Amino acid sequence: MGIGTQIVLQDAVNGLLLGGVYAAVAVGFSLVWGVLNVVNLAHGALVMLGAYATYWFAASGHLDPLATLPVVGYALFLFGYGLQRFVINRVIGTSFLVTFLLTFGLQLLITNLALAWWTADVRSVTTAYSGWALTVGAVVVPAVRLVGAGAAVLMAAALAAIMRWTQFGMAVQATALDREAARLMGIPVARIYARTFALAAATAGMAGGLISLSFPIFPAMGTGYTLVAFVVCVLGGLGSVAGAVVGGFLLGLAQTFASAWVGPNYNNIVAFSALILMLVVRPAGLFGRAGHFRG
Amino acid sequence: MAEPTAGTSLTRAAEGLIAIVLVLLLAFIPLVASTYLIRILTGIFLFVALASAWNLIGGYAGYADFGPTAFLGIGAYTTGILMTQAHMPFPLALAAGGLCAMGAAAGIGAVLLRLRGHYFAIASLGFMLVMEQVAANLEITGGGSGMNLPVARGFTPFYYWMLTLALAAIGTGALVPRLRAGYALGAIRGNQEAAQVVGVRPLPYKVLAYVGSALFFALAGGVYAYWFTFIDPPTVFDPDFGIQAIVMVLFGGAGTVLGPAGGAIVLKSLDILLTNTSGLLHNVFFGGLICVLVLFAPRGLVELLRAGRRHLPDRRRLQRSGAG
Repeated sequence: MGIGTQIVLQDAVNGLLLGGVYAAVAVGFSLVWGVLNVVNLAHGALVMLGAYATYWFAASGHLDPLATLPVVGYALFLFGYGLQRFVINRVIGTSFLVTFLLTFGLQLLITNLALAWWTADVRSVTTAYSGWALTVGAVVVPAVRLVGAGAAVLMAAALAAIMRWTQFGMAVQATALDREAARLMGIPVARIYARTFALAAATAGMAGGLISLSFPIFPAMGTGYTLVAFVVCVLGGLGSVAGAVVGGFLLGLAQTFASAWVGPNYNNIVAFSALILMLVVRPAGLFGRAGHFRG
Repeated sequence: MAEPTAGTSLTRAAEGLIAIVLVLLLAFIPLVASTYLIRILTGIFLFVALASAWNLIGGYAGYADFGPTAFLGIGAYTTGILMTQAHMPFPLALAAGGLCAMGAAAGIGAVLLRLRGHYFAIASLGFMLVMEQVAANLEITGGGSGMNLPVARGFTPFYYWMLTLALAAIGTGALVPRLRAGYALGAIRGNQEAAQVVGVRPLPYKVLAYVGSALFFALAGGVYAYWFTFIDPPTVFDPDFGIQAIVMVLFGGAGTVLGPAGGAIVLKSLDILLTNTSGLLHNVFFGGLICVLVLFAPRGLVELLRAGRRHLPDRRRLQRSGAG
């Protein structure tokens, strides 16, 4: 195996590992967009909250980030439920600018309150296995990143299973297809909305927990992840878990290869170019159907 | 627009007189006011210009541009580079910055303005992030370490530059509804398909509105750069400029002539009074304000006041007709 092939392989692995995290960030964003028709600009802020919750468990309680993941997810579930029920629910069905601005305002509030409480310091979570790495041939796979990407894909699969096989999931799909018809069939639409948003917040929080394993955390980290989620949804197509996962891997690969070949400081340029290209060539994304959510 | 009757021509003359007196007053303020007040007013004019400029694309065309700061940055950097590298006088460098931004807006607008709703909003925001990264990666911009502009001799010229910009932006906003393009934009905002059916080609008009908005953002950016003498990518590509402008337009009433300016004056004053230039408090204030505004007055305060005034006689008329 030549050195060139080895580098390409290593980049491909790195890209897939990054893509797994992107997928975890994007599934919830896609769910809320597809079902509630809300582009939640505060999604990244929820990821940040999850990352900080994980950090505090690890720093003050010496608890393993993976073990606290369900707790973090549940906390964000409750937070998301309240946020949807009392704030976002008031603007459902109005113009997109209103929901867009509202979630932007929430993002600004959450981020800056976090900045006030936790300062702008960059923190990181260190575990006993933080230094471990698998070596396959010449390719090095850091343990935390493998675990992060693996857990992300598992989480996406669980979400897909919930959407496809539970009564709740079917109610969500029905609501996404036709809100009025779902209401007529006896589906409590407001409660479905709140639970969907809560579930998305839970996935965002857990994604934050996985991110804290291998990436730095700071209050303003959310904005970048919101942009990532949007690009991933456009790439993979709105409203499907599979789309978010494939879109996440695509963006992860594109950014990793671009940073290897062009330079490390071009990630936004790559993401934006991918976004524009996709919107011009195939606006529905690879798997997408507008106004629809599939498991 | 008002119908041309004898009464309105009189009020129009009165309005014109008030406007002239107001502008003269503003022009004389630097002769008597303290440096602090001049500085604050200059900051307010900056946002009057930005809000009125955003109103062209966001209000008249109804296209929610979330990345107008891209053009502020382009203007700031073009002005800075031409002044330091080519030793151009400030007004020329500023004009070049405006032209540069117009070119960029025409090019990127021709692609982005085909998108709608969320897609346009995020794509425009993405464009701003790209420009920030381009500025951070180039050598001529000084990269991430930024660049220093020549230091101006006094502060008062910036007051007049920003005042001129603010008035020009308001003037453009007043002019647009009287032009053919204004009618076209109104039709596009109302229903793009219907506009197309009656023969309005949407893209050129949307690009025109985008280019106009970009011009004022770039000019404001150029003046800002010379005023603060130091620029780097995070300061001049700060999305906060654009977001503040959007909130001011919504607060004052989108698609109106004076609403954005009013929104800018009220919100910037409140911002200065309440947050006392603390960046953190400022963001919390604006975040909270956006939420409250969107939840309770999504069409702006002006609309709320207008609705309140309209309700009274309507209800009376209803009761009368019900009784009769």
